[in-house]
Amino acid sequence: MNSCMKKVFWAAAFWLLCGVTAAEPFVSGGPIGSQTWDGYFAQGPVVDQPIEFPHNTHAGRMQINCMYCHTGARRSNVSAIPRLDKCMGCHNLLEEVKDRPRIKRLFWYWEHKQAIPWKKVHDLPDFVRFNHERHIQRFYFKQHRPVREVCGYCHGDIASMTVARRVKALSMGWCIDCHMKDHKVSATSTETIHGPHDCWMCHK
Amino acid sequence: MSLSNLIKNWSYFRVRRPYEGQYEKSDYKWAMVIDLDACIGCNACTTACYAENNLPVVGKTLYGKGQAMHWIRIERYWGEGDVMQTDFPDRGAQYLPMLCQQCEAAPCEPVCPVGATHHSPDGLNTQVYNRCVGSRYCSANCPYKVRYFNWWNYPERAWPNPLELQLNPDVTVRSKGVMEKCTFCMQRIRYSMDKAKDQDRLIQDGEVVTACAQACPTSAITFGNLLDKTSKVAAMWKRQEIDLATDHQEKEDPNMRGYRVLEFMRTYPSIVYLERVRDYEA
Repeated sequence: MNSCMKKVFWAAAFWLLCGVTAAEPFVSGGPIGSQTWDGYFAQGPVVDQPIEFPHNTHAGRMQINCMYCHTGARRSNVSAIPRLDKCMGCHNLLEEVKDRPRIKRLFWYWEHKQAIPWKKVHDLPDFVRFNHERHIQRFYFKQHRPVREVCGYCHGDIASMTVARRVKALSMGWCIDCHMKDHKVSATSTETIHGPHDCWMCHK
Repeated sequence: MSLSNLIKNWSYFRVRRPYEGQYEKSDYKWAMVIDLDACIGCNACTTACYAENNLPVVGKTLYGKGQAMHWIRIERYWGEGDVMQTDFPDRGAQYLPMLCQQCEAAPCEPVCPVGATHHSPDGLNTQVYNRCVGSRYCSANCPYKVRYFNWWNYPERAWPNPLELQLNPDVTVRSKGVMEKCTFCMQRIRYSMDKAKDQDRLIQDGEVVTACAQACPTSAITFGNLLDKTSKVAAMWKRQEIDLATDHQEKEDPNMRGYRVLEFMRTYPSIVYLERVRDYEA
């Protein structure tokens, strides 16, 4: 082996070693978890809400329809975070839970006539228009699918969470994945249609 | 866009508009008629557009540099020079509101390196801001010069706190390095489409009004759906004997005053202008 070949050999060995060690955690699915782009960004940050609203109690145990509180979902672009009087409509009458710390805080806002400063969890960029109404009208009202499933397409299983957390990617490729599929027009019909592909349907 | 997708849909990507049966599957083709005889050059349409579409007011200096961001501008033709010569300079200026013509064969579309501008199924020439990289090729290729580039970070300049509260939430506030243009008030179209879809019908004539048409004091601007044969716009196009897919309108009636700007360039615009009527005897 002459000196030139030696150099090449050692260089190759060096880079191979570097490459293997550097790639190791990614190949073997190390600490990062799912290696796909969407998987990496899937879990949103934990949001500190003013009151740790227990979705698992309301939507899970009590089986309250999501749209009882998020009334905008069936008739407007945004699903809308309910106003304080929506909470108080029920909780004024629920004597047995009035001594709970979270309910006490709710009443504090009510007595001080302040809106609860809820924070947005599922936040899209400003150049995107997502229409809740179209999705709810199609999948809930026309196809008669259960509401937890319909909302869960994008929001995950909120009924098992306390404070809502973003668990889906909400990226454009993720949206398009579903828009490429053929969906039934209504519960009984066999006709299918896929979501719009035009840029200006969602981008504004 | 994967390569297999490109090959599979080659005919779609290489399509030359307008083609036969382009709007067979579509419900809408948005079009406009601007009556130059009614236009008094008051700039109300421009002002309305500024308010509706979050257009930044750039100031006198930048305006002088040609960096104004008005999606619709009133072009004035005085009797000065050969190009701008009018028949009757002593009667004042002639006005022509110039906005994006939403061409069928838009010159801006094929030159975009990232596909930020494309043709929508309802006949609009779209601009997707978040995809735009600011090559400004589209603006260079636009014969009407109706594309505007954000040279500066206008949100900070044009709407200092608390002026940002006046912004329209349905329209993106464009940032620096992005091309923008008239959208035919697409946010209003989408809103009406939603409402119409709830009732399982199409948008009726007059349901969508662009900001410029709404503000026009003389109703010079008419906006509507060309595929809806009962709409006002379709009636005017038909009356003026203008066909969307031809580049030279052969008129049987010489009194018809409809024309499309730079039609011979085969851009097939969606806006018809009605010539100004002049009293040649006086």
